[in-house]
Amino acid sequence: MANSDEILKQVAQLATDLGPALTPTAHDELLRSIAEAARRIFDANACSLALLDEEQENVVFHVAAGYGEEQVRGLKVPVNQGIAGWVVTSGQPIAISDVSKDPRFARHVAESTGYVPKAIIAMPLETERGMIGVIEVLDRGPSSFAAGDDMEILGLFANQAALAIENSRVFTRLGQTLFEAAGKSTKDKDLQRSLLRIAEEPSEPNAELAELAACFNELAAEGPAERRGATQLIVQFLTYVRSRRRRG
Amino acid sequence: MVKPAWSWQFDADHLPRVPKLKLPNEITTDWAWSGGTGAGVKVAVIDSGIDASHPAVGKIAGAVAFEHDPESPEGVKVIEGAHEDLFGHGTACAGIIRHAAPEAEIFSVRVLGARLSGKGVVFAAGLRWAIDNGMNVVNMSLSTGKRDYFDLFHELADEAYFRRVVLVSAVNNVDSPSYPSLYASVLSVAAHGGKDPFKFDYNPAPPVEFGAPGIDIEVPWLNGGTIEATGNSFAAPHITGLVCRMLSKHPQLTPFQVKTILHSLADNAG
Repeated sequence: MANSDEILKQVAQLATDLGPALTPTAHDELLRSIAEAARRIFDANACSLALLDEEQENVVFHVAAGYGEEQVRGLKVPVNQGIAGWVVTSGQPIAISDVSKDPRFARHVAESTGYVPKAIIAMPLETERGMIGVIEVLDRGPSSFAAGDDMEILGLFANQAALAIENSRVFTRLGQTLFEAAGKSTKDKDLQRSLLRIAEEPSEPNAELAELAACFNELAAEGPAERRGATQLIVQFLTYVRSRRRRG
Repeated sequence: MVKPAWSWQFDADHLPRVPKLKLPNEITTDWAWSGGTGAGVKVAVIDSGIDASHPAVGKIAGAVAFEHDPESPEGVKVIEGAHEDLFGHGTACAGIIRHAAPEAEIFSVRVLGARLSGKGVVFAAGLRWAIDNGMNVVNMSLSTGKRDYFDLFHELADEAYFRRVVLVSAVNNVDSPSYPSLYASVLSVAAHGGKDPFKFDYNPAPPVEFGAPGIDIEVPWLNGGTIEATGNSFAAPHITGLVCRMLSKHPQLTPFQVKTILHSLADNAG
């Protein structure tokens, strides 16, 4: 079994590395556009998306549109405090008209948003498979298109964002997912055991290969001329690499 | 005589007498809850904890906190005794209940705030505690949309129903299932536009049965203060408060009788 184990492991690694090439749309770009669309619809000062980290101990602000954009990105807030924490732990959305009324709360909000807004609407990003994060709209305009149906409309954005993130994660964990599925479906006990063992092993994607895969994905979305040009470049580079290897 | 399974439950020596619900000609608020203070009614607030020093909450009858503990067989650690409210939300819910039912015995069952991992199991343990410890009403202004928990919460909701524990749950905001608000025995609540804490609507179509105030309302929060907030989670304790008032006047009511009375007294009924 040792050899086939090794082969399976390599296939798993390859699938994990190449996952990004199959990701439906560039994930960050989609999230940014969701944040920007929400900000405009609410005529808001800012809109941000924060995702739960692997340990589920913090929410990390991933993308932001509008005021405080630079400060917010990458900001980490523990799940046991503030409005973002409340939303991901309770699964309940909340809107607060004047956060400055409560100094402690305002500080928590400021820590998670980069500035102290007056009003905030926060909605969980959740699918039926679990909690993913939170979307926040800060200081929406009084005459915004969404006025009156704020939460319902933000809920639509939240759904879209949650599904996009989940989709992208599934592709990134393609290797693991494939092996889990194969492990469960095979009747061969030995094979089943090794497939499931590989699926359980943490497999970090090879950063360079993953980047290359992501480039292919982006190129696929561009026009035929760009694709042709890129293919020619790569073929030429590959010919050069091969010729060097032969000489060496 | 061949008896089908369970028919013995209806044998004369088994079937208990049940209290008859003596309805007046018409169910009125006067009969249902006027003068009811919540006295003698135990209500659990499953939430982020309650700040008992908040003037809008006052004395609470008890507190217990649940945390995820992967080492223990149940996956949950129980911490009895006073605790703080990390978010302000549990205090908001308790304040709303206190306003409607000033003499209700409010118990804080903290399941939120420690860690997120094992959240569903911790939430379920809090609900289990409320059912096992003689609570009459349980307010749950929280939910989970995770399908894995459907069975677990369904089982608990059914058990609560048969033990005459009224469960009140806020629905999630997005158009997807949220547990435990989805089950038929639970009083599911969303926010309607009204401000009167004693007025509510009844909606016969799922997923939400009751509408109560929860839009731009002033609620107690951290440090003895208040905030103006919006959320279905503030609508649920309005219904919980009314149920407490009702049960203090009519302690024998079952969850389905409570629903019948609320249905008749809804603002949109008639």
